[in-house]
Amino acid sequence: MKVADVLSYAFSAMKLRKLRAALTTLGVIIGIAAIVALLSFSQGFQNTITTQLQKGFATNTLIVSPSSGLGGVAQTPLLINDTEKIDAIENVNMSVAIMQNQCFINISDRTIKITVIGVDFEKYKSIYESTFVPAKGNITIPPQNDSIVIGARIHDPWQNGTIIADVGDAINITWTKRSDGGLYQNKTYTGQITAVLKEIGGFSIGGPSDFGIYIPIAYAQEFFETNECNTIIVLLNKDDKATIESVSNAIKEAFSNQVSVTSATAVLNIISTVFSSVEFFLAGIAGISLLVAGVGIMNIMIVSLMERTREIGILKALGMKNRTVLTIFLSEAIIIGLLGAVIGIVSGWGLANLVAQLGIFGGRFQGANQVATTQISITPVLTPTVLIGALAFGVIVSVVFGLYPAWRASKLKPVDALRYE
Amino acid sequence: MEIPNKIKWRNKNMATIVEAVNLKKTYMLGKVPVEALRGVNLKVEESEFLAVLGPSGSGKSTLLNLIGALDKPTDGIVLIDGVDISKLNDNQLADVRRRIGFVFQFFNLIPRFTARQNVELPMAIAGLGREERRKRAEELLETVGLKERMNHKPTELSGGEQQRVAIARALANNPSFLLMDEPTGNIDSKNAMEIIQLIKELNDSKGVTVIMVTHDQRLANEAKRTVKMLDGLIVEDVKS
Repeated sequence: MKVADVLSYAFSAMKLRKLRAALTTLGVIIGIAAIVALLSFSQGFQNTITTQLQKGFATNTLIVSPSSGLGGVAQTPLLINDTEKIDAIENVNMSVAIMQNQCFINISDRTIKITVIGVDFEKYKSIYESTFVPAKGNITIPPQNDSIVIGARIHDPWQNGTIIADVGDAINITWTKRSDGGLYQNKTYTGQITAVLKEIGGFSIGGPSDFGIYIPIAYAQEFFETNECNTIIVLLNKDDKATIESVSNAIKEAFSNQVSVTSATAVLNIISTVFSSVEFFLAGIAGISLLVAGVGIMNIMIVSLMERTREIGILKALGMKNRTVLTIFLSEAIIIGLLGAVIGIVSGWGLANLVAQLGIFGGRFQGANQVATTQISITPVLTPTVLIGALAFGVIVSVVFGLYPAWRASKLKPVDALRYE
Repeated sequence: MEIPNKIKWRNKNMATIVEAVNLKKTYMLGKVPVEALRGVNLKVEESEFLAVLGPSGSGKSTLLNLIGALDKPTDGIVLIDGVDISKLNDNQLADVRRRIGFVFQFFNLIPRFTARQNVELPMAIAGLGREERRKRAEELLETVGLKERMNHKPTELSGGEQQRVAIARALANNPSFLLMDEPTGNIDSKNAMEIIQLIKELNDSKGVTVIMVTHDQRLANEAKRTVKMLDGLIVEDVKS
């Protein structure tokens, strides 16, 4: 029997039981759609996170922070002038100390708890030359003691033009100090907003953020009454792996292993590893639903086999060979699998885009403060691997589960099959 | 048992189409063995019209299954076109069945196919091209007088018409012989006579060999030769 005739025969049998074939196919569609939606969405999510990180986190930078042990307590704190030590290391272009403290700020009759960051404006600007850039006002160098630079989302938290803080506005910054005797004491100073940063988007580690409030390091040192800093950002001359490694080791050595050094590349690698395992897990769950669909195929084909026993007898009496009977039944399973996979890929892709559009899932992230939430747009990505894999998986599942009923059909004895009522 | 790789068909000018030698078939009915055939010897020549007559349980259906290569004998030999089917595998038996035109009591047409598609089916199985089999199906349906109704499905045809379609289908691959199992058993008497006339005509004018199994004496009377069976044996062999 010719291939075209086998296929048209398989089709004619399926057409007779449209609803049943449709429902069986639906099982495959759901399984494949789940796989494609989850994988393309998580791939898109990963891409978004990676790009967002790369934006606010240059690949040629390292982050040095005090090494904390199991209890999370830093053994030896980093000091602001430790940058001098780091600057002396080969391949280091410059380094900048960052001091952070939770403060309350008063703007437009609102009190907001937020992290205030003390940095050297000049150095910070050189390291983050594309992000530490004012949209409004000026970042004067050297800065006035009371000058404050704010992120775009402090300026316009809901991104709808409701400005709560603008250039020239005064802000009260209140820091609660705990004295040696255990007493709490509020310290307040009033600063002037001199610049609003242009919108950066996403989030960053170390780099400027839309939710940042920046004050000059010299004044921060005085206000927070400390010489310790939280992190030191190091700008490298090169961003190749060897340089990153050698400088990281040199810094660790310079601080007797009391600091940890994180590179952007390492963070991105960790994120990528985490995403791979999340993807694997999600695909596994979706895969299970496809296996259920496979059992559905098998179930329906066994029912179909029983209903068509007599027909198989007739076909065999007319000279059809066992392998042709097998091919017909297997074709039916493959048609279901292929159709289900194609529709499943399309609908899974559609679903991922719909979810991304609506921002139902993973679209909203709580920002580092209560001012506003940040919206991250995710564009689902359908890689060729996922596309081909989903198609192949759909077909393989249908073949595997269709094989047994098909084999049973092919092995029917014509004399018994013809007698079957 | 040795299974030949390729079937060596009988020389075309040999006259014997079917030959059964000491044919035995034993079924297991639960744990009880039932001897359906107990040593049948039969020879059918080309262009014969043979009726196998017998009451139910006489073994005539078992004989039909063996001659039709639908089943294998317990003992003895069945030669179809000179080939011993007991030595063939499933695939080769399928090849043998392509040389046999089956006509069943309950027509056994594929309900979702039209008359023409049903007639085309054995040709499709044999691997014939679409155009070729369509043309031949139309010719065959014309032969059985159903050209006008070839696009109807079995449910839209009367019993007599369905059996005509089945006969056309049986003739599709130019079989060595027609093997009929109670061909009029499910048809009213008027239509039954017409079917018989058709069979006789095919036999008379086209020389089609016919082996017909029936329990109906009147039907058997129309055949040129009648073989009577009882308890798994041939008890009478009469040529009219």
